Amino acid sequence: MSRAIDVVVVGCGVIGASVAYYLSRTGASVLVIERGDLASGTSSACDGNVLLVDKKPGFDSLMTYESQRLYDSLEQELEHDFCYRRFGSTLAVEDEEQQQVARDWARTQQQAGLPLRYLEARKVHGDEPMLARDIIGLLECDSDSSLDPMRLVFGLGLGARRYGARFMRFCEVKSVLTDSRRRVKGVDTTEGAVACGSVVLAAGVWTAAVAERIGVHLPIIPRQGQIVVAERCTQPGRRKIMEFGYLMTKFGGAHSRRVEPEMDKHGVAFVYEPTADGNFLLGSSRQFCGFDTRVDPDVVKLIARRAMRFYPCIADLHVIRTYVGLRPYTEDHLPIVSSVKEVPGLYIAAGHEGDGIGLSPITGLLISQMITSQTPRVPIEPLSIERFRPKSTSAV
Amino acid sequence: MDELVICRCEEVTLGQIRDAIRDGAKDLAGVKRRTRAQMGLCQGRTCESLISRILCEETGLAPEEVKPGSVRVPVVPVPFRVLAGEANE
Repeated sequence: MSRAIDVVVVGCGVIGASVAYYLSRTGASVLVIERGDLASGTSSACDGNVLLVDKKPGFDSLMTYESQRLYDSLEQELEHDFCYRRFGSTLAVEDEEQQQVARDWARTQQQAGLPLRYLEARKVHGDEPMLARDIIGLLECDSDSSLDPMRLVFGLGLGARRYGARFMRFCEVKSVLTDSRRRVKGVDTTEGAVACGSVVLAAGVWTAAVAERIGVHLPIIPRQGQIVVAERCTQPGRRKIMEFGYLMTKFGGAHSRRVEPEMDKHGVAFVYEPTADGNFLLGSSRQFCGFDTRVDPDVVKLIARRAMRFYPCIADLHVIRTYVGLRPYTEDHLPIVSSVKEVPGLYIAAGHEGDGIGLSPITGLLISQMITSQTPRVPIEPLSIERFRPKSTSAV
Repeated sequence: MDELVICRCEEVTLGQIRDAIRDGAKDLAGVKRRTRAQMGLCQGRTCESLISRILCEETGLAPEEVKPGSVRVPVVPVPFRVLAGEANE
């Protein structure tokens, strides 16, 4: 039963699990090596949003839309229920300046064939009776959905196992092993060396450290975020809502929200997600603070305050939990889904920042297509590691 | 016996916890992720010691080897209006 291993996947969060699933489905022999338990990193410290509504028009949106379509299939393919609910998502618009940008955004995306539209206030408050009355409109996206990330990881894992994938948990990959021509020949782990033909690094914020050990520099750093969990209740909103200002914060653009300076300092922007279990999750914040996953009570206060601005009715509901996750951030907010030309057999699938859940299906599919030499579902050049490297200037 | 409710907030039974351990849960966090036990209103204050004991019985771990669940603010449920108000509440 000692079949040679074609691919070792390092990491079993949403990305690693998805890579394992799509790869093993092609018939490749896959071994997933995870240093903890399944979904023990960022994938159990995040929310469950699958969002197109906040993506830049162009490649970002098209890749996301393809990923969403894969989710519709995954819901049927995976035996394990991951609470997938496609009820769309919305961005709340507070003023005329935001409204103008939101309308233009909707129009651009509609022209690209994407299901976004702008709803005026009159249409909004009937559907969202608990939303603050001074919200003047909603940008809505129909194809957005919500799911349970941990159940998704377990589902993808079970699916991969059904196709023959094997798993080693509580085992850490220390380095990738290469031959004299720097070609991948295996991995070195805390339980000894494992030989394989290819390696996919899908270890989220910990990927850069592994790659560094073989001289491959990955510009992926942790961008910390906090989430507040509310008790089971009559959820104030039936579907996901965020503030339009969220877009500006996410991309670091200049936009003057009418908020206290502390909100901008911690990158706090309203994100609301009702869960299948009856709670709701609130975010969001962004801070560069290394690998610090301690909860900052000041940020909790700001998230609570911002949420009450949009849903005043939550004042007497209770917060039961807060947690912190580390998003794997890259400068251009796109992940690295790429081969590494100087190390044949090495692939990177990391750097998804806050879109790991949304992009996990397309990432898994693209890696499986790259490794088995099939045509990629979407162009992969924008996701290549090469985009971070200085262009060669020699003309010879 | 399997029908015995261990996590009352999320109504997770002994059978479900044993299944989670059989599926690979090795610690409290592993049980939590697979069953939602400890995710409810009391955040494991009632069930954590029970789940620890079940883990020891099923896996042979010694009680001191079971890593405690992570503690986060707030340690009791707190209304939003209080959290949003004074930072020192």
